[in-house]
Amino acid sequence: MRVEDAICSFCGCLCDDINVEVEENKVKRVRHACRLGSSKIMGHERIRSPMVRKDGELKEVSYQEAYERAAEILLAASKPLLYGWASTVCEAQKKGILLAEEVGGVLDSTATVCHGPSVIGIEEKGLPGATLGQVKNRADTIVFWGCNPAEAHPRHSLRYSSNACGRFTSEGRSAKKIIVVDVRETRTSKNADMQVIIQPGTDYEVISALRMLVAGKGDVVPEEVGGVAKKELASLAEMLLAAKFGAVFFGLGITHSRGRYKNIDNALSLVADLNSHTKFVIMPMRGHYNVGGIGQVLAWSSGYPMSVDFTRQAPYFNPGETAACDLLAKADTDAALIIAADPASNFPRKIVEELAKMPIIQIDPYENPTTLLADVVIPSAIAGVEAEGTAYRMDGLALRMRKLVNSSYPSDEQILDGILESVRSLRSSMSLRGGLKDDN
Amino acid sequence: MIIRGGIVYDPANGIFGEEMDLCIDGGRIVEDAKGEVIDARGLLVMPGGVDAHSHIAGKKMNTGRIMRPDDSRLGTEPRSGVCRPSTGYTVPNCYAMGYRYARMGYTTAFEAATPIIEARHTHEELEEIPILDKGALTLFGNNWEVMECVHDKDIAKLAAYVAWGLRAARGYGIKIVNPGGGEAWGFGSNVKGLYDPVPNFDVTPAEIIHALAEANEMLRLPHSIHLHFNNLGKPGNYTTALETLEALKDIKPSRMRQAVHVTHMQFSAYGGTSWRDFESKAPVIADYINRHNHATMDMGQLLFGAATTMTADAPLEYGNARLTHNKWSNHDIELEESSGVVPMVYSRKMLVNAVQWAIGLELALLTEDPWKVLMTTDSPNGSPFVNYPEVIALLMSKPKRDSEMATLHAELSKRTSLGGIERELDWSEIAIMTRAAPARILGLEDKGHLGFGADGDVSIYNLLPEEVDASKEHATVKKALATAKYTIKSGIVVCKDGKIIATPRGKTYWVDAAAAQADMDRLMVDLQEKFERYYSVQMSNYAVQDVYVTNPKVIKAGIGAEPLKEVA
Amino acid sequence: MRNIVITPLAPIRISVEAEILSPDIFAPLSMEQICGLDVWQGNRKKKISDLFRVVGDEGPAKPEETALRLEGDFSRVKRIAEGMTAGTVDVTGSVGMHAGNNMLGGKLSILGNADDWLGREMRGGSIIVEGNAGNYAGAGYRGERCGMRGGEIEIRGNAGAYLGEHLCGGNIRVAGDAGDFPGAANQGGTIFIGGSCHLPGAEMTKGTIIVNGKAKVLPGYQKLEIVTIGGEKYQKYAGDLVENGKGELFIQAGSS
Ligand code: SF4
Ligand SMILES: [Zn+2]
Repeated sequence: MRVEDAICSFCGCLCDDINVEVEENKVKRVRHACRLGSSKIMGHERIRSPMVRKDGELKEVSYQEAYERAAEILLAASKPLLYGWASTVCEAQKKGILLAEEVGGVLDSTATVCHGPSVIGIEEKGLPGATLGQVKNRADTIVFWGCNPAEAHPRHSLRYSSNACGRFTSEGRSAKKIIVVDVRETRTSKNADMQVIIQPGTDYEVISALRMLVAGKGDVVPEEVGGVAKKELASLAEMLLAAKFGAVFFGLGITHSRGRYKNIDNALSLVADLNSHTKFVIMPMRGHYNVGGIGQVLAWSSGYPMSVDFTRQAPYFNPGETAACDLLAKADTDAALIIAADPASNFPRKIVEELAKMPIIQIDPYENPTTLLADVVIPSAIAGVEAEGTAYRMDGLALRMRKLVNSSYPSDEQILDGILESVRSLRSSMSLRGGLKDDN
Repeated sequence: MIIRGGIVYDPANGIFGEEMDLCIDGGRIVEDAKGEVIDARGLLVMPGGVDAHSHIAGKKMNTGRIMRPDDSRLGTEPRSGVCRPSTGYTVPNCYAMGYRYARMGYTTAFEAATPIIEARHTHEELEEIPILDKGALTLFGNNWEVMECVHDKDIAKLAAYVAWGLRAARGYGIKIVNPGGGEAWGFGSNVKGLYDPVPNFDVTPAEIIHALAEANEMLRLPHSIHLHFNNLGKPGNYTTALETLEALKDIKPSRMRQAVHVTHMQFSAYGGTSWRDFESKAPVIADYINRHNHATMDMGQLLFGAATTMTADAPLEYGNARLTHNKWSNHDIELEESSGVVPMVYSRKMLVNAVQWAIGLELALLTEDPWKVLMTTDSPNGSPFVNYPEVIALLMSKPKRDSEMATLHAELSKRTSLGGIERELDWSEIAIMTRAAPARILGLEDKGHLGFGADGDVSIYNLLPEEVDASKEHATVKKALATAKYTIKSGIVVCKDGKIIATPRGKTYWVDAAAAQADMDRLMVDLQEKFERYYSVQMSNYAVQDVYVTNPKVIKAGIGAEPLKEVA
Repeated sequence: MRNIVITPLAPIRISVEAEILSPDIFAPLSMEQICGLDVWQGNRKKKISDLFRVVGDEGPAKPEETALRLEGDFSRVKRIAEGMTAGTVDVTGSVGMHAGNNMLGGKLSILGNADDWLGREMRGGSIIVEGNAGNYAGAGYRGERCGMRGGEIEIRGNAGAYLGEHLCGGNIRVAGDAGDFPGAANQGGTIFIGGSCHLPGAEMTKGTIIVNGKAKVLPGYQKLEIVTIGGEKYQKYAGDLVENGKGELFIQAGSS
């Protein structure tokens, strides 16, 4: 069997032109996807069965038993953290939000360790963006700032940006100016017309200097900013101003260097300023395929796109206080449900140590270092391969992920439903026994 | 269910404040029913409110939420009873959207603008809005395929595209926003007027609007074209408004309704040459609407306080952001549209805002026939919908308007005729502007009235219409309208004394229009090329799948379709 | 004066939200009523007396005649003195996030350190911290255009990053260093920093920032003359010109 126009569930490009050959319910061949996408779709060794830690060891149990143990953990906690969500579909995210409301927890996504600062920047300035097709059809000038799509989003350039051809860009790469700003040379910068190497942690200053130059106030700008000569910055500003349609793509290089969300805040202003002269848009390079989705679903459900604290029954949002890292850094959470994420490998060591101290429920198709810390492990179907659902591309476009093969694993949504049911029945039996026991 | 003894306003059926009983069974108004009895003796009873133009779902709304945690923290209500938590004031979350409309006695609301390619997102949010019946208008005014058909004067192919687009978007009707301007914005410019050609497409806004109106009638769509004028929000734009209306005079409606619905007319009734000599041209517009029968409009009333502007008119939003030095979100949508979102505060101290406030009211009060003008705030552009009771109180009370005006800029009376308008609307007129007319204008046969067979949507207010003098007791009116005593949706009491007690899932209207197969075939050739060369998604992943509309109400239209039942 | 002393019964792990710890709330209530007030610890609603020992003079009193004394470690107690309009709150130890949130009047004194968002959106009154303050002292809420609008914050130790972000009025004085971006988007407040800081006054449109130590200055600042303030020489700058700002930035001459 062949599945045409399947959607790749690896990165935020959400390529939707993947052809997959399936034989005997196994993916045999993946076409059009990049290396990263293929290996995701092909899959690898799975967690076999639900497991619950007993006497220090993970023991195989039934799904029902795992759900019940998960419910016990969640209900015993004063401030459970429900974390992950970027590599699953919106249908599961919706269930997760309901679960967070019902158990009075804090729900946060992996955005907190990638584009969280971008979201805060957007809260300061708004986001002048576009769909990727708009960039493909119109952009003659493209800036990659602190991102390296050649490695992290391999098909971005051909499908949407530097090498894409569209209505007003029929000559493709040859008629475009590509600019890379980074702290070092990257594979992306090899394809660039201009490469600007800045000193680490100086993004904010460099952007301010560009804003001054764009506004014609270059005389105030010092001779060197962020290790870059004013002359070089001036020619960069000229290139930006000469664009008919410019697009800025930015990544973790700018969101996670000194200045954090202020860097994005300033970049958004640069783009707004540029629109007084020409047309410019800007967009974060989202990593996990549906990290955009959790932001959207959370926003329409709670009003906020990440780090939402439901402990007092009403959504409260304050990254710096309510993000997963903040809670763990302050030891201000007492249980965690981790879905489709691997904080044990992605968080700073001190935070992982904190995580290790509390009961953890893990929902994931694959074993990863977080599994070693988990008390309940619930294997799931791979969303976008074994389960259908909605995902939001890095530009906010919603697409429906196809199911490519059947699976005996329940979907993330079904698992969360199972836990939710267990939470409800446990809670009602507890209230029959005279209220929640406070064990804090 | 029997609703006993209410003073019923059902203008569509010629009932203007009569004491009568209403029966609901199987979710519909019927002649006779058993069961729960609701005591409405002496109380104001109307059909459930219908909002024909409101921004309630989709990318723009969510962009507003994401960029405005400052707004989301307002209006926070914890989860309780049957309710999920509420947040936001101008950009409420989906749950608040449903609860707050229901609390005011509204049971239906239509999302005003969705690009086809982003309709999946809109439906995801519509599905999450509790209680309300809803639908979404689909944007066509800056679409490449549309402009190419217009250029080729191929109305049949255009109609096929509209039919295909509505189906792909699960959309309800044709929305046109600043036609041509959204495309021009793709390279940072705009169109200046009705006859200013769209760059790269060699068509004018006038041609786009006219052709879409023709296609609309060719397809016999339940609603007319729904139009946001060019030059919206600019001083002196009333001439564009009049010019556009004139250009549509020859459109023959295929149904008993208007040929064009003009949305948020307040933003298009501006005189003056700049913000300095800015003044109201509402009397001229109202006069035109009074003398012609092809157009209806909604107010787009502006109220003082916080708003979030959101529109497919992206260049307008860039202007707003620069003018007010506020946050700016923009979103260009490949081959189809552009859009923007900017927070706003309308201030009593600003003469411009005061004039805008007056214009909306003038439009409603100077238009003789209430069937031609709907009460809206273009929520949340002029003000969030929760402030409808304030607008209604203003329309019903000259003393309220006077006392408001007394607090505003002294210059105001020279810029608007509002102070001289004596008219005070009565409950029949309010029932028309908030129920009967929006339903008729949208072509919703079962909404906005209480005749047998109509949807069992009823609002009952804690107000005795025969005793309360709305002119003097405007505070009572406002309070009563803000929290319905009962809101009944499809025969279920969803709200009692302002408290939400049930949250049934509403339905989503969309229009399935048939086009001639030969035109559809020709269209497919175009579309295949568009998807191969220009779109960033595959055609097979483009259309909204059925799973996204779980409770659809499909209205058939189009060539060869059964003739539609005419609305009363 | 009505004196009330509050002491944690045991060390607190999951942080407590206690916006009721304010003279305005306590003043009109009897001691019994006070002990029955609610606080939140995570998703558990508790009585104040479940977590704290509360002793003091019997009420009622006016807020301005009410003095709260918080003895012990309150570093995991949030929102102390939120919205207070009068009276005093004295803390012998450290406080958690959002102390003096939205404060309108009265006096909050903290002997230890203050966590992030001290005096967020404050409009009046005064706050003194003997130790250090975290990030966002005197700042606003996410996405809001105004932070602190009035009143005084004095930090005798160091301040964290984003000090006085979106400041719209009032005075902030830091004896030690401030972190990155003090006075970002300042629209009319005054900040004095005794030590050093990084990139002060980003997008400042109005107001004043004085830095006694070193600071890296943004490229949107125009260097003006050397001026003397209180006997010290400062390099004066105007900016931030990326926003056509008219703010004034003074850096100790010879230090930047
Ligand atoms: S670029 Fe990203 S979405 Fe596309 S195939 Fe590669 S991993 Fe998948
Ligand atoms: Zn609108």
